[in-house]
Amino acid sequence: MSTTTSSPSSVAHGHGAPAPDATTAATSDPGRALPVLAVDLVADPELLEGLADLARGLEAAGVGALTISDGGLHPIHVASHLAPLTRDVALLPRTDAVYVEPFHLATQLMSLDHISHGRAGWLLTAETDPAVAAAVGRTTLGLEATAREAADVLEASRLIWDSWAPDAVVRDTGRGVYVDASRLQYADFTGETFSVRGPAITPRSPQGLVPVLVADTDRAAAGERAAVELADGRALDLDVSTGSGAVLETVDAARADEDGPPVHLVRLVGLDLEADPLGTVTELATALREQGLVAPAPTTGQSLREQLGLPLPPYSNDPARRSDRARLTSKDPA
Amino acid sequence: MTTAQFPTLADSGLSAEAAALATGTAEHPIHSDHTPTGQLAFGAFFQGVNSSTIWRLPSSGDQVAWESFESLVRTAERGKFAAFFLGEGLRLREHRKVPFELDVAGRPDAQTLLAALAAATDRIGLVATQNTTYNDPVDLARRLQTLDLLSGGRAGWNIVTTDNAWTGENFRRGGYLDHADRYLHAEAFVEVAEQYWRGESISHDGAHYSVRTQGDLPASAQGRPVLFQAGASPAGQDFAARTADVIFSPHGGLEAAVDFRRSITERVVAAGRDPGSVKILPGAEIILAPTEAEAEEKVRWVRDLQVGPEQAIALLEQYWGRDLSGFDPEGPLPDVAPEVSESGVTRGAGFQFAKAEELTRTWREEAAQKGQSILEFAREKSGARRGTFTGSYDTVAERLADFARLGAIDGLNITPWLIPSGLDDIVDHLVPRLQERGVYPAEYAGATLRENLGLDPL
Ligand SMILES: Cc1cc2nc3c(=O)[nH]c(=O)nc-3n(C[C@@H](O)[C@H](O)[C@H](O)COP(=O)(O)O)c2cc1C
Repeated sequence: MSTTTSSPSSVAHGHGAPAPDATTAATSDPGRALPVLAVDLVADPELLEGLADLARGLEAAGVGALTISDGGLHPIHVASHLAPLTRDVALLPRTDAVYVEPFHLATQLMSLDHISHGRAGWLLTAETDPAVAAAVGRTTLGLEATAREAADVLEASRLIWDSWAPDAVVRDTGRGVYVDASRLQYADFTGETFSVRGPAITPRSPQGLVPVLVADTDRAAAGERAAVELADGRALDLDVSTGSGAVLETVDAARADEDGPPVHLVRLVGLDLEADPLGTVTELATALREQGLVAPAPTTGQSLREQLGLPLPPYSNDPARRSDRARLTSKDPA
Repeated sequence: MTTAQFPTLADSGLSAEAAALATGTAEHPIHSDHTPTGQLAFGAFFQGVNSSTIWRLPSSGDQVAWESFESLVRTAERGKFAAFFLGEGLRLREHRKVPFELDVAGRPDAQTLLAALAAATDRIGLVATQNTTYNDPVDLARRLQTLDLLSGGRAGWNIVTTDNAWTGENFRRGGYLDHADRYLHAEAFVEVAEQYWRGESISHDGAHYSVRTQGDLPASAQGRPVLFQAGASPAGQDFAARTADVIFSPHGGLEAAVDFRRSITERVVAAGRDPGSVKILPGAEIILAPTEAEAEEKVRWVRDLQVGPEQAIALLEQYWGRDLSGFDPEGPLPDVAPEVSESGVTRGAGFQFAKAEELTRTWREEAAQKGQSILEFAREKSGARRGTFTGSYDTVAERLADFARLGAIDGLNITPWLIPSGLDDIVDHLVPRLQERGVYPAEYAGATLRENLGLDPL
């Protein structure tokens, strides 16, 4: 049986992962993968018309990831819609962890991972807008509670993602068994405001655990535990709405900064999508790559974890949460 | 026009069986307020978790792989299916407290998948089964409208109300809702969703929560997602009669379908709506072959693959509530009393609450009378749970044309027994025969799901 044990909360920084095949800038830690270049798309209904062409164009320009921000349309659905329209680019909805049903959120994100063949990520935000709380009939949480909730939902999501072993679907025609219950486990998460039993209703997705990143913009609301201790990495936000003058210097400085968390995603936000997004992005992508500041464009079949230099998390089976426990105890009269 | 000019039932081309069920005129064979359109619409129902999808064949595809869905939806679109349907279950089914191992299990989130399929298709409707008990209305309404906008007006919502504390263990509110209130809650939920779709300012205070928000997305090409309802209880039928555009019924047999049409027509009229504004699509399984004899053999083969010895024992265990693994599947039904008072230990959308003592006794008698083994009995029972259309291409085409002319149904929601190739023979051999008989569209009527289901614009 493939039940290896590992600490589910271990924060991976790419140690031991194969280094991406690129020239490494002098300022960067040699053990650390180069950040992935991302462009932010705001999911505004007005953008629908040209959305597919835009996503394909950005992919062709060598962008490694698209983050999909909320502009009315639901970011997860828009990311999913873009999955069959693109091939290589990773898709990270930037979506709230707080005023959601954790079970639904986790299922949606792992479904995106299945649909995109391992290109899914979650750019976690923690909503502070009281209007969002009012829409789901919850009271607005204070800053501390918001951060705690975001961390709880992230932990619960990981447990849900980790509830099926990669080989749980056995299709054993001899025994007539489709799924092996001993390779499933309950999430059994209890947080401050909710609990989730599990297991997932969806088999384990290609990346096992969907990479979770937190953008600098969202770090204060998401809190240190979610953003630094639990998340897989950090997105450096570069607002290019007023021009792209200092982009290279900023990336260089952030990567050289030993005190801040390592940068995994360099994210261009505020791009004028009506004007000439492709030209600007192509230029910036070329310059950043020439300077060795971002990772090369993804290749087909490469998962987001691979792009980020994160190792594939091993499945960890917790005997106390094994889903066939009831059968084991009922056969054991002691 | 005088009464004498009305065509009579004898001229309608109905079979003797169908004509015998008709109680009215040729225009209104089932109910005086219902006029058959004589047209059928097909949906492809990818249940995900179920006992009818065969997984033991080498040609059985991956149940979660994108390629399986893409291939199936493309076949359905080639066959001018009105809709591609996904089921939902919010907790993994369990059997005697352990996740059920014998059936296909595990599926992607319905709407996330449909948002991707919207990019891979042009005309087919995309319908997600979504529960009103374990969702927040504005969150769900917004997702559905996103799907409707992404697909150019092809989204549908199959409204289900499955509720129990066991499913609730996966959600914030837990098992907060009394079963008796499931439709009261659903109705309030749908009203909030409709307000959101209309772009209104919402201020709702209900028994379980309050909502304050503002609808902020533009309307889709069809106005709002098409509303389906699945649930057969009288309360469910009333809810559908007031709210739904389409009812996904379990009544695939001709007589049951006629009764259901009558019941729904009465309720729709009582709700003050035009009876033509609510379509009925029963769930169905279709097993076809070139000839009648080959079809009979194929049905046996399919049933054998769907229900093996392990599944047969597990089926009985659901109702007996105890370990029956010591019984021989080739032998008679267990001569022991059930351990539970109510059946339905395997949780899931389809579970029932029949009185176990009575049910198991009836079953023992039935099997003994027919001389059936556990295996034979289980195969018959699980086949009977579905609306089944089996036979040669021509027989099934003729039978369906009969249903259409009588106006018993408006189409079928077809569960393929094999993924992803299970719709191939339907599209290649049955659809053309239905088209020849004039009861199935030669082309998509329009660009939206509403249009392709023959529903009037909002
Ligand atoms: C044909 C059909 C298909 C159904 N599919 C689902 C499903 O996929 N998921 C689900 O939760 N419930 C499903 N249901 C069950 C429910 O829709 C319904 O909410 C539940 O049975 C309670 O309502 P009722 O008491 O009116 O039947 C289905 C019901 C029918 C008749």
